[in-house]
Amino acid sequence: MIRDAVDAVSAAGAGGGAGRAAERLRRAVALMALLAVLHAFFRYLSRRSLFVAAREVEKELRRRLFSHVIRLPLPFFQGTPTGDVMSRLANDLSAVWLLLGPGVLMLTGTCITWLIAIVFMLEISPALTGLSLLVAPLVVVVSREYGRAFHRQHRGIQESLAAMNGTLQENVTGIRLVKAFTLEEREEGRFGADCREYYRRSVAVARTSAKFHGAIGFLAGAGIALVLYFGGRSVIRGELTLGGFVAFNAYLAMLAFPTMAMGWVINLFQRGNAAMGRINEYLRLPAELPEDAPGPPGGTPSPPPGAVSPPTCPILEVKGLVFSHEGGEKVLRGVSFALGKGEVTGLVGPTGCGKSTLLSLLAGLYAAPPGTIFWEGRDAVEIPLTERRGRVALVSQDPFLFSDTLLENICFGKESPNPAAASEAARAARLLDEIEEMPRGIETVVGERGISLSGGQKQRATIARALYGERPVLLLDDALSAVDSETEREIFEGILKASGEATVLFSTHRMASLSRCDRILVLDEGRIVEEGTHDGLLSLRGRYFDLYSRQMLARELEEAT
Amino acid sequence: MTPPSDGFFLDDRAETQGVDWRLLRRLLRYVAPHRGLLAGALAALVLGTACQLAGPYLIKIVIDRHVTPRVLPGMAGWVLLYLAALAGAMGFLFLQMYAVSALGQRVILAIRAEMFSRVQRLPVAWFDRTPTGRLMTRLTSDVEALQELISSGLVSTIGDVAVLAGTAAILLWMDARLALVVFSVLPLLAVFVELLKKRIRAANREARRKMARLNAFLQEHVTGVAVVKAFGQEGKSDRRFDALNADYLAENVRLTNYFSLYFPGVEMLASFAVALLLWHGGGGLISGAITFGTLVAFLEYAQKFYNPIKDMSDKYNILQSALASSERIFQLLDTDVSPEYGEPAPRGRAEKARPAGRAESSVPAIEFRDVWFSYPRVDGGVSGAGAERPPALRGVSFALEEGRAGAIVGATGSGKTTVLSLLCRFYEAERGHIFLFGRDIRDIPRGELRGMISLVLQEPFLFSGSILENVASGGANVDAALSAAGVDRFASGLDAGLSTDVGERGGRLSMGQRQMVSIARALARNPKVLLLDEATSSVDPETEHGIREALPRVLAGRTSLVVAHRLSTVLSADRIIVMHKGKVREWGTHEELLAAGGIYRRLHTLQFDY
Repeated sequence: MIRDAVDAVSAAGAGGGAGRAAERLRRAVALMALLAVLHAFFRYLSRRSLFVAAREVEKELRRRLFSHVIRLPLPFFQGTPTGDVMSRLANDLSAVWLLLGPGVLMLTGTCITWLIAIVFMLEISPALTGLSLLVAPLVVVVSREYGRAFHRQHRGIQESLAAMNGTLQENVTGIRLVKAFTLEEREEGRFGADCREYYRRSVAVARTSAKFHGAIGFLAGAGIALVLYFGGRSVIRGELTLGGFVAFNAYLAMLAFPTMAMGWVINLFQRGNAAMGRINEYLRLPAELPEDAPGPPGGTPSPPPGAVSPPTCPILEVKGLVFSHEGGEKVLRGVSFALGKGEVTGLVGPTGCGKSTLLSLLAGLYAAPPGTIFWEGRDAVEIPLTERRGRVALVSQDPFLFSDTLLENICFGKESPNPAAASEAARAARLLDEIEEMPRGIETVVGERGISLSGGQKQRATIARALYGERPVLLLDDALSAVDSETEREIFEGILKASGEATVLFSTHRMASLSRCDRILVLDEGRIVEEGTHDGLLSLRGRYFDLYSRQMLARELEEAT
Repeated sequence: MTPPSDGFFLDDRAETQGVDWRLLRRLLRYVAPHRGLLAGALAALVLGTACQLAGPYLIKIVIDRHVTPRVLPGMAGWVLLYLAALAGAMGFLFLQMYAVSALGQRVILAIRAEMFSRVQRLPVAWFDRTPTGRLMTRLTSDVEALQELISSGLVSTIGDVAVLAGTAAILLWMDARLALVVFSVLPLLAVFVELLKKRIRAANREARRKMARLNAFLQEHVTGVAVVKAFGQEGKSDRRFDALNADYLAENVRLTNYFSLYFPGVEMLASFAVALLLWHGGGGLISGAITFGTLVAFLEYAQKFYNPIKDMSDKYNILQSALASSERIFQLLDTDVSPEYGEPAPRGRAEKARPAGRAESSVPAIEFRDVWFSYPRVDGGVSGAGAERPPALRGVSFALEEGRAGAIVGATGSGKTTVLSLLCRFYEAERGHIFLFGRDIRDIPRGELRGMISLVLQEPFLFSGSILENVASGGANVDAALSAAGVDRFASGLDAGLSTDVGERGGRLSMGQRQMVSIARALARNPKVLLLDEATSSVDPETEHGIREALPRVLAGRTSLVVAHRLSTVLSADRIIVMHKGKVREWGTHEELLAAGGIYRRLHTLQFDY
């Protein structure tokens, strides 16, 4: 803050020194040099402390936002494009930093410069001050308008950039098809159109920006011209000293930049404000809490599990589970079944019958209504979220690995990785041999920053991850679709051996894998329509038989001939 | 298929030292077609700078001729001239900025188009070893960095240099001694800037890298949030994020420190110059050596002189990173295209390769003769790039007659898909020959080869657009393809029918529907050979049933090679090729293979007994 006072004083020194005696000149120059040093010193301090403080705030906000966002319920992520979440976590945060750092610095700096300069200018000549400030509001308005137009056009640019990158991404991902179908030229056409749109918009922004710079430069210069004429006339008429005239000009020049910057600052504030609003939108969304276990509406505390549930209680029981995704149709319409400890249960049904939803509900990823899911006789809603999720290892349809070492990925569920146990899990998932062939074994980095695994390898890695934690219940959601049936059989054997007493519920499209289950559930249109062993279900000649025989039809035809 | 040099991967470390003139010259080549625009921009620049620099001189005239001698008449004229110069300066500024931006954007447009068409023609192996995310960064952010240089850096740098040169010239012309006083601080300034510049650049790069790391972490955790939740690892993710976040902050604080030192420091030195100027100029004024107007003009010019110097370091930064980016862009542009985009090999080789004495009628549609192939090692740029994996194919030989349906079976990793990829010439066989209707595929021009064969990938990939557009991208035979693949049946149940938008990567259709569309697309070109990497594994039995019903129609009378995962597909094939660890173990009809009692028989029993 002091820097601007220094600024003003130094210019006063310059003005006062000119045209006077050599002695005064020397003193003024020495003073000016001293002030320049002080000025630089204070500016260093103010910039540094302000910017560092703003960065600290940014960091804290980012920390809070991230930690909040990953605790938002899963449906939020399904309803929100990744790009949107990322833009708040990255772009909006930098907009906030720009407001707090450069924005605040410029604002205070500008205000102080203005105040001090105007005081000095008024002292020299009130009339000239009024005259020269005529253009100031115009400058602010113009730069603000420009900022708005620029912002709007810039968003357009961002959109066309996104479209361009989308085409690019699609092309790169589907490169085999592009080549196989000789679509290179068609793709060039598509990409070219995107590029030209982007070009058009970029040039439009350049025009706006060039116009603004011209206009603002002219306005600032016009103020100087006014002072030059009227100030010069005052000096000629003897109303103003020459030194005063020069000093006045110096002050005016000093104000030119802050005035221009004012428009920019206003925009920084508007943008930062909007960004903060968007960030707050996320922060206000209710997050899942680890101890989140709102009792049933009545509020009766759950009795201790051992007291009520008989020892024969199934490890997991589902009673009349009805569920629909937000605003959607009912996916599950009254599902009931129970899993006994150590049982291996298959889940089968056509696409879209609700298998994945059911498994996600059991894993605690969606909130099930109270009184529908029971863990050893205890209503799931009464069990703290972390505990509920800790009981289950879910392997989802779409294998997701982090770009980290295989070790870290397999040991994801635990705080510190244990290489020996990880190798064991990888062995059970039939991945160990391949891991050992990799350049750095289990320390090999996979994903974006490392090597890319095949679909089957990814699936097996996620299975190893699920096995590593030794959780009591293993849920596999069509988790072996990319491995062949022989490997699948081996993996199942590995799972059963590794998990020992574990209860397994798995969904599959591969009917042949089901024959060794203790029990099979057939899910259709949100209901369990059949339940039993493979042979029992086949003898029913119902839905299961139907599904099974379609896959096996060819074989039977073969046998008949 | 030369691997790209390491610089492409080591983006974090890649940096050119100093200004590489070779790169600049190559960039200039893209400017050449827009010479007119460039000339206009330069003209506007020269005129604009002249007008701008005239300002302070006009002020000097006003002071010396009117204010000091107290002569009012005629002063208004000079002031008006000042305004006119100002208007001119700003008008030319507008023209120059606009022209330079347009020029820059055109250059970028050309580079983008060239890069895109080059990337598309790179060998598939190149895409295998380049993770999509990294490739996208190269394709987008490097071009953006270059664009930043051209659209903002270049415009203002050219302007700044012109102002600097012009100011220096005027100062020397007005009063050489006083001008030297203004310049006297320059060496000190140069030392100061040089001292900080390197640190700022390093800190800047480091901060950007940390930012990228942070954002990658964020992106990954947003995409994989279900995994984080399912394993209850929010707390662990928090802590890991905190570490990255703190790293980023620390780097920014370091950067802030340098910047906080830099700007005030430069300003202080500039103030010293002004103080020196007043000292000498004031003295000269008192002794009558210079006029008052000259001193005022000098003060103005000194300011104009030091302003551009302030952010010189910034500009240099932009230039540096843009040059590093353009180096990577050019590297990409210089990567060899896939061999199939080149001219077919000279005739002589084709003659030699063609089996002599074979009657035309007995030539098989597809023939592999002792084909060896290994995938290049996919390496994260750690070490040993270019080392190869164990062979995926070890002397594969088989033949398939025209009009027959062939099925390849085998465990994962036995090389089934590789056979199809080699037939499409996504990769080049290392040894041996692949013949299509008796011609070595290396001698068949790309367009012709790919016109003959059609491919259905295991993971159905659709381009954004409608169902119809997707099918039509395959070829002209759309209607027949739609009904043969059964697309018309499910499409009639959709609201928009065939013009239903399939969404990003076909996301709005079910997996089974996507497969049907991709089969239809393959049929639309009425291929002589259909290659199908069966993907029924992730489809529910009902959709599979639909696809299976369609397949006989699709395959009838067509030469086809199917990587089969379903027994039913195998059973309907005329020839079965059993692969094991990169070799063809058995080859024949279903009955022959069952009777032989080999791998096929074992696979067959497994499928049912498990």
